[in-house]
Amino acid sequence: MSKAITSSSTSTSSFFTPHKIYPLALLLRLVLLLYGTYQDSHSPLKYTDIDYLVFTDAARFVAEGSSPYERATYRYTPLLSWALLPTTYGAVWFSFGKVLFALSDIVAGWLLARMLRGYYGMNESRALRYASVWLLNPMVANISTRGSSEGVLGLISCLLVYLVLGVDAADAAAASSPQAKRGGQGKGQTQRLTQVVAAGIVLGVGVHVKIYPFVYGVSVLVFLDRQHAHAHKTQAGEAKNQQQQQQQQQHKQQFIYQLLTPARLLFTLAALLTFATLNALMYHQYGWEFLHHTFLHHLTRVDHRHNFSVYASLLYDSAAASASSFPGNAQAAGIIPSIERWAFLPQLGLALVAIPLTLARKSLPGAMLAQTFAFVAWNKVCTSQYFLWYLIFLPLYLPDSSFRQNPRLGVGALVAWVVAQALWLQQAYNLEFLALSTFVPGLFVASVGFFAVNVWILGVIIQDIGSLDW
Amino acid sequence: MKRRTTYLQHPSAPFDPNQARLSRSVLEIRDLKSAKEERFTVPVASSGSSSEGGLDDEIRDFLVNNVQRLDVRWATSSADADVGDELDGVTPFASRVSSGLHVYLTPGSKGLEGQGDGELHHHNDDDKEAVCRVLRRVFGQEVHRCLDYEKSFTRSDVTAAYQYYAPVESLDGLATFIQETVCGLTDAECRRHARELLSADSFDLSYDSSSRNLVMSAFWSEAPGPGWTEDLRAPAAGSADKMEVGLLGAERAADPLEIKMGGLLGVVGEDEKLKPTLFSFASRHHALPREAFFSVAFPPPTGLHPTMTISLSSAAWQRPPASPDATCALHTYLTLPSHIFGDKYQLGTEYQLGTEDQLFLDSHHLVKLQSVTGETDLEAPDWAVSQWGSNWLFEVATPAANQHPEEWNVTIPLHLRYLHPSQSGYQSVAVPWPVVFWACTASEEVKMHFNPFDRLNLGWEALFAPQTVFYQVHPSTAQKRLVEEVQVPVMKENGLFSSTTIELGTVIAIILGSLWVLWKLGAVMRGSAARRRPDTQKKTQ
Repeated sequence: MSKAITSSSTSTSSFFTPHKIYPLALLLRLVLLLYGTYQDSHSPLKYTDIDYLVFTDAARFVAEGSSPYERATYRYTPLLSWALLPTTYGAVWFSFGKVLFALSDIVAGWLLARMLRGYYGMNESRALRYASVWLLNPMVANISTRGSSEGVLGLISCLLVYLVLGVDAADAAAASSPQAKRGGQGKGQTQRLTQVVAAGIVLGVGVHVKIYPFVYGVSVLVFLDRQHAHAHKTQAGEAKNQQQQQQQQQHKQQFIYQLLTPARLLFTLAALLTFATLNALMYHQYGWEFLHHTFLHHLTRVDHRHNFSVYASLLYDSAAASASSFPGNAQAAGIIPSIERWAFLPQLGLALVAIPLTLARKSLPGAMLAQTFAFVAWNKVCTSQYFLWYLIFLPLYLPDSSFRQNPRLGVGALVAWVVAQALWLQQAYNLEFLALSTFVPGLFVASVGFFAVNVWILGVIIQDIGSLDW
Repeated sequence: MKRRTTYLQHPSAPFDPNQARLSRSVLEIRDLKSAKEERFTVPVASSGSSSEGGLDDEIRDFLVNNVQRLDVRWATSSADADVGDELDGVTPFASRVSSGLHVYLTPGSKGLEGQGDGELHHHNDDDKEAVCRVLRRVFGQEVHRCLDYEKSFTRSDVTAAYQYYAPVESLDGLATFIQETVCGLTDAECRRHARELLSADSFDLSYDSSSRNLVMSAFWSEAPGPGWTEDLRAPAAGSADKMEVGLLGAERAADPLEIKMGGLLGVVGEDEKLKPTLFSFASRHHALPREAFFSVAFPPPTGLHPTMTISLSSAAWQRPPASPDATCALHTYLTLPSHIFGDKYQLGTEYQLGTEDQLFLDSHHLVKLQSVTGETDLEAPDWAVSQWGSNWLFEVATPAANQHPEEWNVTIPLHLRYLHPSQSGYQSVAVPWPVVFWACTASEEVKMHFNPFDRLNLGWEALFAPQTVFYQVHPSTAQKRLVEEVQVPVMKENGLFSSTTIELGTVIAIILGSLWVLWKLGAVMRGSAARRRPDTQKKTQ
């Protein structure tokens, strides 16, 4: 389908050609990988991320026939430890996981470029320019080659968008040429639904791997069949004028039916089935430990150690106060008892309900970006790895972004985001390494400041996505 | 009750026979400069007569019903006197534990019911709590974090004993307990003994259910003031009690594993004269010369990841005088209360990053983490931790043969748990100095249990093969305390910044942020609705 839209071949002189960008992306990761191996073997300060040691330790437990959860702080799906089994073969195989994560990055970047060409109508050079925000991003390459698995999440999110946009593009094409629609209806419909099921499976896997992608489900449901909904809505508008009284009741029912399209039902079913099957399989294999470490831990998690989250100070304070063993803290019970228990309300209210219902119809990746941004900013725990979760959507958002159209705004936002983090990091450094008590006001104020910057940026993103025509 | 008092002098120290005069019923000790060990062996009757040793019902019931084996080891935190100083390194009392109270418990058969099927519910809570109740009563409130042995004790894979530690700095509690519940009002001699405990360097207590003997011993590395002045009295006629005395000097024997002791021995009330004696035995524990010492520090800034630095004097890293074919390695054994911990993955027992991890260990002058028991959770704040803490045994590197560094530092990267908020924003936590020692293999022929002063169940010695000889490196006496204080930054709660401010601030930030985003979303909805109307009209045309 993308062939139809592929445009001019005048981009040969450009730097942004597949022959240059992909090898460059590979080279960037290869250099970092080799450098990391060098640093690891020559310096007591390791390049490799602590989490990667957790993964590979877990893989070793699996290789020995026991459970990956034997490794303390392994809080991931067993799939990850299975996928990393080759890391137990010894020698250079140790880096297998990093290679896997880095390749996931590049595949995700390739999908981005494909989408930009296929669904955004860009020429190759322009598509690669945007995709390079991910492909040649040193932060992305660094995180993957240090052995963090977030790049895989990027690929999963990207694949989901790719599949759903594919369905939408086909719908749009069918809507614009009714003949084509009539002609290959049977075959086209099967292919379309297969793609919907595939998207559902991808989402199911994503939620199984990292929970948070479940918020994307709502966006996809709103976005899928938006062409139908649009058509019906216009029809409904006409109908209203003609036989208002009589048909209003009927239309309400019809409206519900229209919402429950085959594609939406299939997508939901596929996602739920995949999620349930994977969980049943893992539960069968590892039992309660799997449920506890992969899901329950994250749901009940209260991270007392300082992190970017605006809730961090509150959590430390209230957890310490509720520990009954401490006698002198009776007055610290708080004005609103256990606010932190209600933190999911604003977080999910925005990320799961308000944002997808308002924005998903206009742009799926835009809505997903805003959702992830809100989810991370309103989360009770927030570390820099989480930023990768929304970075993957940036190339799909930037073309419509006022941050790009108005460079002063764009640079301003970037600077504000970086400076807010730097201020926080400075406080954290003073605490962590210089032993200064910077919890209040330092870290607390810095985390509120970072939250404020995030809120402002999210506001701009919402405005940009909202102004798209649909 | 059997009492054994041993005065240990350097063989060359001046000794005048008048300083120890034995009459029919009393041995008068006068101004005797020496180290001393007192040892009381008290049979514990299963029930009835409370005359034996004056143990009250609660303690006796606990020992009889709840204990298969109990060992308590306490060491002083004061560094002014050291075991090896007076005795020039030759002493049967060389072994050390970190300062504080160490408890090793194998629960009795009653407490162990249901252990077979690994279920906990058969245990009677009361039985599990008994040990903590007794420890609190005997040693005082510093044991307040002890709830029961399932919750608060750690358990070693090697010995299967439950293990507990509390930072008890003085034997005040024990002395008061003995004076109030054991001595009674009239026994002035007993009360004097109890007071003497306040200057003891170490105190041991052992009980096992097969012998039903409670053995208590205390050790003083030097006499208070001008020397020991006391009357050791014969037990009342007809009682089963016994009063043994030894006035001994220790010398190096021809065999480096042996200690030769000579001097006078006697039983007060039985012997008319102290008898000269000379005997030698293979000793499990040896002291290195006094030049072999270590000191401990946490170099600032400590942050939340303080590094314990153990500085060794050059004599400390010289191979000890074990037999030439013995394998020797330098070790350190850490006792870390729950607020400070190591990362066992970083320090590497479970799995290692192949050869790369050795680089990390090398840079800290560590060879290997040999054993770790206890609370090693990497994330839990201190208030969420129920076990007392953790123990770490490291093999430590020594400089290569061709290297002669000025000083040799062993560093152990540690981490702090989150602690409760405080007024000042800081909380001070105490970390006892570890013990540092050489462990050398010994051949099967060496019979170490013939040593009348042998000391076992110290936590670390059981982690080695039974035929192992230990050489203690002395803690430096330059610092007065064998405990390091670390300042932990915590949340400051006073004045403007209270829980209320943080709560309000967070809630306001969240509400304002959410409202801003909702307002933006609302604007999008209004915009779309406005655009759809002309749009619809266009389409209907």
